[in-house]
Amino acid sequence: MAQIVLFHYFPRNSILHDMDGRVKLICMILFSVVISLVQSIPSFIILTAGLILITLLAARLPFITLLKDMKYFSILILIILLVNSFVIPGRPIPGFPLPGVTIEGVMTGLMASWRLVLIIMVCAIMTGTTSLITLKNVVEWYLRPIPLVPETRIATMINLTFVFIPVIFDTVSEMLSAQKARCVEGRRNPLKRIMFIAFPLLVQTFRRTEELILAMEARCYSDDRTRAVFATTAKDWLILAFSVLFLAVILFYPF
Amino acid sequence: MSKPNMPIILETQNLTHVFPDGTVAIKDINLQIRTGEFVIVAGANGSGKTVLLRHLNGLIRPTKGKVLLEGEPISKNITAARKQIGLIFQDSDSQIVGQTVAEDVAFGPENLRLPPEEVDRRVKTYLEVVGLSKLAQQSPHVLSGGEKRKLAVAGVLAMQPKIIMFDEPFTGLDYPGVVQVLRQLVSLHQSGHTIILVTHELEKVLAHADRLIIIYQGKIVEDGNPQEIIGRSEQYGVRMPLGKDEGVDAMTWLK
Repeated sequence: MAQIVLFHYFPRNSILHDMDGRVKLICMILFSVVISLVQSIPSFIILTAGLILITLLAARLPFITLLKDMKYFSILILIILLVNSFVIPGRPIPGFPLPGVTIEGVMTGLMASWRLVLIIMVCAIMTGTTSLITLKNVVEWYLRPIPLVPETRIATMINLTFVFIPVIFDTVSEMLSAQKARCVEGRRNPLKRIMFIAFPLLVQTFRRTEELILAMEARCYSDDRTRAVFATTAKDWLILAFSVLFLAVILFYPF
Repeated sequence: MSKPNMPIILETQNLTHVFPDGTVAIKDINLQIRTGEFVIVAGANGSGKTVLLRHLNGLIRPTKGKVLLEGEPISKNITAARKQIGLIFQDSDSQIVGQTVAEDVAFGPENLRLPPEEVDRRVKTYLEVVGLSKLAQQSPHVLSGGEKRKLAVAGVLAMQPKIIMFDEPFTGLDYPGVVQVLRQLVSLHQSGHTIILVTHELEKVLAHADRLIIIYQGKIVEDGNPQEIIGRSEQYGVRMPLGKDEGVDAMTWLK
């Protein structure tokens, strides 16, 4: 897990890095919606080319490295392709040895997989150019007007989840090493070995959580905190306008 | 070394805490701490040191008795009390809430609803004070043990407390780590902070203290000048530091 860089933040100096996170999130949602709606191959090609250009030029992200990480989604993509190929009714592929596979099914499967890859790309651009702190503040800002939603608490939870993940991974790795030192490999039953890790990990995590709650209380935590300040510039509005125009053309022009 | 002319800043009156299972953690603790004092609270494991410390910050409510900050019960305005009484926990990992060093320091000031510019100013100032400015954008997870404890100190200092309490600050630290934390402690005391330090590793720090308190089975059994008390510490489960023949002044890891 630690090796995956696909959704990591890359501190760079780029147009998208400097963008107001709130506007960037709107752009990301717009792109995702349009990706979900387009039907024609030319639209897909233009969108793909557009996203590659954005990744390389506007976000200055390491495209090849990100592309390599797509392999983690290969099984999911294959399942989508296979399921569609067999389930969607249509004309059989002439001379194809497997019965039940249809031309329409393969085409729908290919498009669905392509859609998934493009949405992953959009997410990677968003997370690659936005630090988690900004992302958390943006989520908090958008949740603020919704009644009965504790936006600060949700943002804190998102934040603490990301803080705790490396700590939990470290704990697991230390526990594994400690158990290896006591020849845990001698145990054949994998279920037992999982239990040897799961229970102490659970106890440790709860203990840490309790300590963290106390530490947060000691530092006067409450939902009423200093709020993040955002600044929208003309550049942000221009990018938004350009994105809307680009997506409108893709969506409505009869390619 | 003691400060009899200074006003009393923190006081406990008949402070008693009984756990739900009937275990008496502390019993009838009457304590007066003066402004600018450096107090060491020592005791064997399970003697009630940490419970006492958590009462002083209002993290646990007493079964009987009360804690007064500048003559006012802390229960009247617990947030105001916690702002004045900073507590640094034993396990640094469990008190880190930020994804970056700077964000962690900002946590306290943000809880106090300070304006964003003031939060930024304090983050910069106190990272500078503890010498972590260069690591401001690092993940706290990658810091060394000594650096993590310094980060915890910066997080508390950013709330500008008058009293700073340390719970076993030397646990798990190597020699350079202990020296780093000790330097910080001494410099905080010199800058006018009241310091309350819980430890049983007296040989590392006793030379800097104005007063030594020994807790045994939940009660204060010794309270006074370290020079006079240190000879009796072992009967309460606190090891007499090496170098006793050279006097209390030699009991420090700072040369």
